[in-house]
Amino acid sequence: MKDLTPLDPLLHSQLRLAIVSLLMSLDSAEFTFLKEKTGATAGNISVQLDKLSTAGYIEITKSFKGKKPLTTCKITKVGLTAFEDYVKALKNYIE
Amino acid sequence: MKEELSHTESLKIINEMISEAKNSFDKNGSFYFLLWGWVIMIANLSHYILDKYTSYEYPFVVWLITIPAIVATIWYSIKLKSKAQSQSHLTRLYGEVWIGVGISIILSLIFMSKINFNHTAIIMMSAGMGTYLSGRMLKFKPLVFGAIALWLSSLICFTLPMTEQHLVASIGILAGYLIPGYLLKSMEK
Repeated sequence: MKDLTPLDPLLHSQLRLAIVSLLMSLDSAEFTFLKEKTGATAGNISVQLDKLSTAGYIEITKSFKGKKPLTTCKITKVGLTAFEDYVKALKNYIE
Repeated sequence: MKEELSHTESLKIINEMISEAKNSFDKNGSFYFLLWGWVIMIANLSHYILDKYTSYEYPFVVWLITIPAIVATIWYSIKLKSKAQSQSHLTRLYGEVWIGVGISIILSLIFMSKINFNHTAIIMMSAGMGTYLSGRMLKFKPLVFGAIALWLSSLICFTLPMTEQHLVASIGILAGYLIPGYLLKSMEK
């Protein structure tokens, strides 16, 4: 019987998993892009981004695009490893 | 949004988001091939005609046309970057490849006297490498064939005198940049 590792609770959430999956495949993405692709509210995304950033899974850069504030997100090495481990664990559960 | 996720739901989210990210790859690569294709082809042809059929002393002034092209390239890439809401790994890599090609070309121009004025052959070789990698990254075969045309023109340039090299290079650029560039543009629509 396979040893089932528990799924990372930080990633095992619909919105956070969606955000990390998007960032996994991109070099960087803006807040509005994440909002558009996930269909979530700005408030909810902000909260989840904060959680992911505090855990060191993503890196958030704040700047300006013209006069508008711009939030850009990027996955970190820690986030990448966590995502890979999550997918591995998920595979074990499904198998 | 509900927090309890089943394993299959998790997989579904991952798959959906990865394909969403894939679809957001920007499609503006043809602009650079067309701009530089026309600029280099016109400059090479003019240089060849002035050198071969006139007694004009400074045929190389035609290359000043590359200065507005450099400005246009920088302006366009800044405009694209500020418009894009995301950047894929591929887009970043694509840009890096052409920066590398640009640096190689500048080095061959600085030391053209040391390489026996075979800089046109070296430029075709470097352009071939950039086009080959772009073709592989975009999975677009005409660019790969374009790269072969550029390498072939580099090979021929090495065997010819400097003046004739310009004629071969203009044909190489037509086959290596312009034809695949227009095919790429028609795919982007």
